[in-house]
Amino acid sequence: MAITPGTATTETAELAVAPPETASEAPPAPEPMMPGEHPNEIPALVPIVPQPGKALYRQALPGVMQVPADLVLAAARKSSLWPMTFGLACCAIEMIGTYMSHYDLDRFGIVPWPSPRQSDVMIVAGTVTKKMAPAVKLLYEQMPNPKWVISMGACATNGGPYTRYDRVLQGVDKIVPVDVYVPGCPPRPEALIDSFLALQDMIMEERSTEGRGA
Amino acid sequence: MTTDETNGEAVEETPPDTFEGTLWPDVNRALSAVDVRPERGALDLIVHLPRKDVIRGLGMLKHDDELHFDYLRSLTAVDNEDEGVDVVYHLYSVSKNHNLTVKTTLANEDKVLETATTVWQAANWLEREVAEMFGVTFNGHPDPRPLLMPEDVDLSDVHPLLKSHPFAEIDVLQGEGLGHDRDAPGDV
Amino acid sequence: MVVEAPSEFETQDLLINVGPQHPSTHGVFRMVLEIDGEVVKDLVPYIGYLHRGAEKLCENNDFRQGIGYMDRTEYLAAHNAELSYVMAVEALGEIEVPERAQWIRMILCELNRISSHFMFLGAFGIDVGVFGTPFIYAWRERETIIDLFEEISGDRMMYAYFRAGGLAWEVPANFENRVREVLASAQQGVKDFDGLLTENEIFIARTKGVGFISAEDAIEMGMSGPTIRASGVPLDIRKTEPYLFYDQLDFEPITANGGDVFDRYIVRLQEISQSIDLIGQCLERLQPGPITPERMPRMLRLPEGEAYIRTEAPRGEYGVYMVSKGGNKPHRLKVRSACLSNLQALKQMSVGQYVADAIIILGSIDIVLSEVDR
Repeated sequence: MAITPGTATTETAELAVAPPETASEAPPAPEPMMPGEHPNEIPALVPIVPQPGKALYRQALPGVMQVPADLVLAAARKSSLWPMTFGLACCAIEMIGTYMSHYDLDRFGIVPWPSPRQSDVMIVAGTVTKKMAPAVKLLYEQMPNPKWVISMGACATNGGPYTRYDRVLQGVDKIVPVDVYVPGCPPRPEALIDSFLALQDMIMEERSTEGRGA
Repeated sequence: MTTDETNGEAVEETPPDTFEGTLWPDVNRALSAVDVRPERGALDLIVHLPRKDVIRGLGMLKHDDELHFDYLRSLTAVDNEDEGVDVVYHLYSVSKNHNLTVKTTLANEDKVLETATTVWQAANWLEREVAEMFGVTFNGHPDPRPLLMPEDVDLSDVHPLLKSHPFAEIDVLQGEGLGHDRDAPGDV
Repeated sequence: MVVEAPSEFETQDLLINVGPQHPSTHGVFRMVLEIDGEVVKDLVPYIGYLHRGAEKLCENNDFRQGIGYMDRTEYLAAHNAELSYVMAVEALGEIEVPERAQWIRMILCELNRISSHFMFLGAFGIDVGVFGTPFIYAWRERETIIDLFEEISGDRMMYAYFRAGGLAWEVPANFENRVREVLASAQQGVKDFDGLLTENEIFIARTKGVGFISAEDAIEMGMSGPTIRASGVPLDIRKTEPYLFYDQLDFEPITANGGDVFDRYIVRLQEISQSIDLIGQCLERLQPGPITPERMPRMLRLPEGEAYIRTEAPRGEYGVYMVSKGGNKPHRLKVRSACLSNLQALKQMSVGQYVADAIIILGSIDIVLSEVDR
């Protein structure tokens, strides 16, 4: 039947005063309404008429920001880097000094964690000797992806002051891939903080590449 | 000169040094059974013993009542290239507070010596280090494994502290080829 | 606490590998424990993971470059390590050192002893189980001392400040005031540690009676430093064979009678107070003057000879045996490491104790791996 506005009240009035002789019959169904007619209708569920020039999601869900997923993941990864405590030699003392309250690293979300299986970054702090090299490689392989390596100090970069001794590995990058090199003997705590900030920038930059350990 | 303990002053003018004021008279008496030759060092008296009598002499020095050298400070070796390897023992007495240095020379072809662990337990690790660094064999050592060198690699002919052992060459100075290839699909 | 396992079960001993990467091994030290239940039956230590060849490399470097290697050998007490080396060079070359340089050397060595013992207290606290608080207290004290060292020598840890004949350059003008400030802060630090640990029931229960070594065994094994003084042997090289001007100072070696882990802790804690007192005595006697002898050759050439110079480092007797055959480089440089000799007794002290006790016994010997392995 035709749906015209204004027939609601007359129909309910008709049903209300239906004659008793037609009570055994089913009452006729109400006519469907247009959007915006029913008094209890929620205004937000009104279908949107899209306006050109504005993103659809902004008209449908005002106040929501859309970001790429990899940016969120990269921001989460860089803000909570957990280094494995792997101090080998003298640089370990400066690394510990950086974790302590004077040059706090906890404010960056960096918490030292002893287990390789639950850490993100391996800071190789100190000289890697040929006797220790298999252990370093094993620990690197035990870390789950994504993982990064910071080579702290001159000894881990290229052997440092001990490079002319043949039992010393001339740089840890001969066995594991290194992301950030920190020069110094030992590097100051500020240098180590700078290296973490550089690593964080690197993580944000490389967020959409597959890469090594993405 | 710093205020170290000097065991007497050197006699400059007359050539034969009688070593007065040092421990030499007591040491000479204690080691009278062996052939011993003294020398004056910067701080302590140095005593040279022949190779076959070293351990016997050290035992006599330890058990002597007046000298009582019960503390082995250090055991090391010096490579004199063609003249052989000197094994040096630095002794100290806790009760009497005096020092002595004992030296013996081993020829390069025959670097074998008896162990001093029968005299002092402290010689255990010190001899292991001398054995791997200089190629000296200590007969009767209870645990002749390498101390500082890796055990799983056969380094029985690598003795780093000998003068004939070279220094390592630096294989990559700078620039390209910095070790591990970052972009290669690796096993990580 | 020696425990025996019940004998009616058929058990098998377990081999546990501790290290070389482990939060409590103080560096790259590895030990293989054979345990029966939780009791250590056998302990085999493996060292050499930090063997960097300082002795061989020093044969290739002249007498000034070698100072840098000595720093890195004992990085927590670098002034004491440099002191043995420069004293050996001075002994061989018969170089006179001016008085002011000697007093300043003593002050810096004692300050380094304080900072090294604070590091021990912090790391030992972690081993015992007080994770965090003592370590952060220790580093708070260390940072004040290290700031002073940085003002003097330019570096936080590898100073290279001593030279054969004296010091590299003059200390800053406010040296005395700064040292007194540092001492006041260190005194407060000692009070904090004392209040935190010494009368703590759990600490005492964990450390008393653990890791005992007798005085005769300690002498036989060649131990030195606070580890042997805790067993009752008053062997302190500053007292028995005085060097620098220690014979003019008034102090007694601190000993304890027990020979266990708690006594080693107490000896080190009291040594910090003793060092604060010694520095006060040195500051009274410090006079203005030169710090290097008048005619110091640029390139030092030493005559032939050999010398074995020993000083009391925070961990024990740090000796340098130098053989010179003329020339500007040593023919042989041997570093007599206190930690290596102390570590030999680890097995003897740990067998029969629990695994957790083996960890704190290792912590109480206070090893620095680069000195053990050189």
